[in-house]
Amino acid sequence: MNSDNVAEAQELTTAMSENSSAALAEAVDVLNTLKSTVQQQVLGRDDVIELVIIALIADGHVLLEDFPGSGKTTLAKALGEAIIIGSSIDESIVPFRRIQFTPDLLPSDVTGVPVFDSNSNAFHFRHGPLFAHIVLADEINRTSPKVQSAMLEAMGEKQVTTDNVTYSLDELFFVIATQNPLDLVGTYPLPTPQLDRFLFKITMEHINRDAELDVLETYKNRRDLSGQLNTVTRDEVLHARQTIDTEVSINPAIKTALVDISRNLREDDRVLQGNSTRSMVLLLPALQVSAALRDRDYVSAEDIEILIPRVLGHRIELAPGVSDLQKVLLDNMRKPMEQLAKSTFS
Amino acid sequence: MTVVSGSIAAFAGCLIACYLIDLRLYKHPLSSLRTSTVIILGFLCWLLTLLFAELVVSTEFIANTSSPLIAFNLSESAKWLGISASMTLSLRTLAHRTSYGAVIEILFVATAFVITLAAHRNGMIHRPFFIGDFALTRGIDPSAILMAFGCGTVLALSALLIAENNQKRLPYHFAVLGMLCFSLLVYVRLFGIPTPQTTDDLGLTGQEQNGSNSRRDNPFRDGENENNDKEAPVAIVVFRDDYEPLNGSYYFRESAYSEFNGVMLDFTTQDEMDRDLIEHFTNSREESEQLPGAEEERKAVRTSIGMLVPHRSPFGLESPIAYENTANPNNLRFKRTYDTYSLAPEYDFEYLIGQETGREDWSDEIWQEYLTIPDDARYKTLAEELITNLRPEYADDPFAKAWAIKTYLDENGIYSLKNEHAYEGDPAGSFLFGDLTGYCMHFSFAATYLFRSIGIPARVGIGYSVPASNRAGGSALLIQAIHGHAWPEVYFKDIGWVIIDPAPQQTLVDMTTDPQDSLQQLLGDMLRNDASFEEFLGSQQSSFVQLQTILSILYTLTALVLITAYLIKLYRLWIPSFASNENQYRLCYRAVLDRLSAVGLSRDFGESREGFADRASNTAPSIRPITDTHLAIALGSTNHTAQDQQEWTLLGQSARKEINSNTVAWRKISAVLNPFSWLLTK
Repeated sequence: MNSDNVAEAQELTTAMSENSSAALAEAVDVLNTLKSTVQQQVLGRDDVIELVIIALIADGHVLLEDFPGSGKTTLAKALGEAIIIGSSIDESIVPFRRIQFTPDLLPSDVTGVPVFDSNSNAFHFRHGPLFAHIVLADEINRTSPKVQSAMLEAMGEKQVTTDNVTYSLDELFFVIATQNPLDLVGTYPLPTPQLDRFLFKITMEHINRDAELDVLETYKNRRDLSGQLNTVTRDEVLHARQTIDTEVSINPAIKTALVDISRNLREDDRVLQGNSTRSMVLLLPALQVSAALRDRDYVSAEDIEILIPRVLGHRIELAPGVSDLQKVLLDNMRKPMEQLAKSTFS
Repeated sequence: MTVVSGSIAAFAGCLIACYLIDLRLYKHPLSSLRTSTVIILGFLCWLLTLLFAELVVSTEFIANTSSPLIAFNLSESAKWLGISASMTLSLRTLAHRTSYGAVIEILFVATAFVITLAAHRNGMIHRPFFIGDFALTRGIDPSAILMAFGCGTVLALSALLIAENNQKRLPYHFAVLGMLCFSLLVYVRLFGIPTPQTTDDLGLTGQEQNGSNSRRDNPFRDGENENNDKEAPVAIVVFRDDYEPLNGSYYFRESAYSEFNGVMLDFTTQDEMDRDLIEHFTNSREESEQLPGAEEERKAVRTSIGMLVPHRSPFGLESPIAYENTANPNNLRFKRTYDTYSLAPEYDFEYLIGQETGREDWSDEIWQEYLTIPDDARYKTLAEELITNLRPEYADDPFAKAWAIKTYLDENGIYSLKNEHAYEGDPAGSFLFGDLTGYCMHFSFAATYLFRSIGIPARVGIGYSVPASNRAGGSALLIQAIHGHAWPEVYFKDIGWVIIDPAPQQTLVDMTTDPQDSLQQLLGDMLRNDASFEEFLGSQQSSFVQLQTILSILYTLTALVLITAYLIKLYRLWIPSFASNENQYRLCYRAVLDRLSAVGLSRDFGESREGFADRASNTAPSIRPITDTHLAIALGSTNHTAQDQQEWTLLGQSARKEINSNTVAWRKISAVLNPFSWLLTK
């Protein structure tokens, strides 16, 4: 057909993007390495992987809601292994930790505890599993609210406090929490304000037939593969986070659209409680990462369309009798998105 | 088309089919049938009912057991039930199952309306009267109102039908249909409504049936029963321009006998003959196809004519060149009112001496038609005998010859309303070669035959002739039944038809009438008086704005809107070529979007630009890079420098080529024609 024309047009576009800074390109390389590494280990979950990476770079945390055996541990582990310590000074920080939450867990089991050393006759802090880059908090709704709140403090402040001593967690502290949507007996469901701490709540669906077949075919190879995959260092990730924050621009029209969507949602009769202002603040870096992943140095309507359902899904409480969250979101997005699209003409 | 029982059955058939399709189509067992099967079943049903209807009337069983009337009604019911049910079944099924079905249905409904309303064309039926009278008293063509009704109905029905299928695009479809209706109105306004050619089923021919004699009647017999009411007023004429005839009589021509049908002269059946005549009434303005010559010897006269009795054709002061329908100031008094534009002769008879006869563009056949007479050698013999006495310098002059014949009839003819020749094979011959006693028909036919026998093209004009003295100084002239007249006419080259009317010196009847000055004045005032007319209008009109004015404003506004829309459309496509580099990203992108929306691809409300680009990339793959570049500049940081015009032109051109090659032809045509496509661009 008109492949010549298309090629011509694309050439022009690439010429245009050449101006974007080389630093951004480097950051995007880091993201892509991470992405491809995890993708090699976890099959058929490209959208989830992308969201998890967005959350990691945007300094947020994710809550995965899925069934046992759907690959969440594999995902978290693969991500942890893809980031190596590099030149970190603090030896107490490890790349990956997993906490299995149970009703009898205590906060100190998570944060760490001072133990008496009879040799030195003093208390030494023994670091808990939170001192890691990637923490998999498995079945977070199964533990008591006490532990949950200790966990959430760590997530919010990036620090833990025991016996009035505050210990900082790593700069790259990233929590992947999971909960089982069924089997709710004996659980302590997270209340909406606590859910607000998570950037995304991702509901994973079963992967498709081909991907599932692929998983069965290649599970042995993949187990052997770990250790040979491309990795990035912690510092590279942190650097990418900074670069994206400075290099990807957010047009005022984008912010207007976000605020308008929030306001529409709060005014909607079908919504009992709208989303917080904090959610919009957290959303901004996520939008920037999403744009960078699409080789753009500006945030666009596309990013909003992808991320809004993930970010607002668990932050909104619907009125009794209303069940279709997607429809509520789409209805309230339509007008601000139209204004955003129109703003490019003026 | 059918009797009452048939109509009821047709209605019932529609209802049954609608019920079947609308409620049952998606349920078992109809849902399992294919569309074609349903239609074929409908067709078979129709054939079956036709067969049944035929059977009922052709066998004598029902007729014998009950009555023939019942058999007939039963057959009609069955037939129409079958027709309506099968038609509705097919149309409804198509509308439900296919995308074009709704269109076919709309067309069908529209056609039904057109056929029903077509009978009203040219005022053949002025029913319903409240519309017809309302319009005619205001000088509006009632068919315009009926057409507006029709268009409105079609629009409303279409809206209903389309809404069933696709509510989202309803306003767009509606606009297109509105445009179609509007163009129909414009067409009618520009070119008029076509006159029906043949008699339709209802026996309507576009001409009023009552009124003066019908075509088949023997014109020589119409004097038989006319004597009793010779003073009855027929029409009132108001002269808008002053005119005084030279020969003392006002002639009003209605029609002419010009074609010899084997027995006598009759109305012509050939298009090429008598093209100067206007034979039917009009609701707007009708002009003669052939204008008379010698304009410097004629005076343009406008007259208003109010007919008191119905006529088959309009008539006007000789020579009428145009008729224009006017508002009827009193529809109880006047059957019709219209203005006539005439080129009235002002030449002396001396002007005619030395003129040649006939018309240059007449073919030999036409010439022959105007010279045909009964197979009787006595005409030629007599005519030649009459012209032998002409002075040598006039021996070859057609007018002098005609004058000699007229003089012969003047001197020897006796005017009488007795009608002794009517039942002869050739009444004119019987009159001319017999007692020379007769009335205007005899004189005009005899003169015409004599003219024709010596090669002068002639015909018999019919209409009214009123003595100029009747006008009595006023501007109104009353035409009475007794003024009905026929006269011979000769065609002179570059002049036209010239009346050479024999006036017998001996007369056995008193043709004078009592002066009816007061009646003449009263009727004239009624027709002419603008003050009383305004008053009358005031009493009839509830709305104080003229419908005609509103229509004109509406036309102008619509035309303006259309032109503006086209201009904006062109402007938006061309402006990128002239814009500065900073604005290219906006204007060039918008032009590409305009092209896409013209072919039916436009962004939905709330859809992102990228989402639309993905959707449109089947038609134009380069829309994606164009969108990305546009957004990078619109939403991105300042380090995106504006591209120069050339690169954008290149992008725009590639998009245009892609759209052209990926679009079907009718889409391309509608893209060019649709003036509002750019409104869809968002």
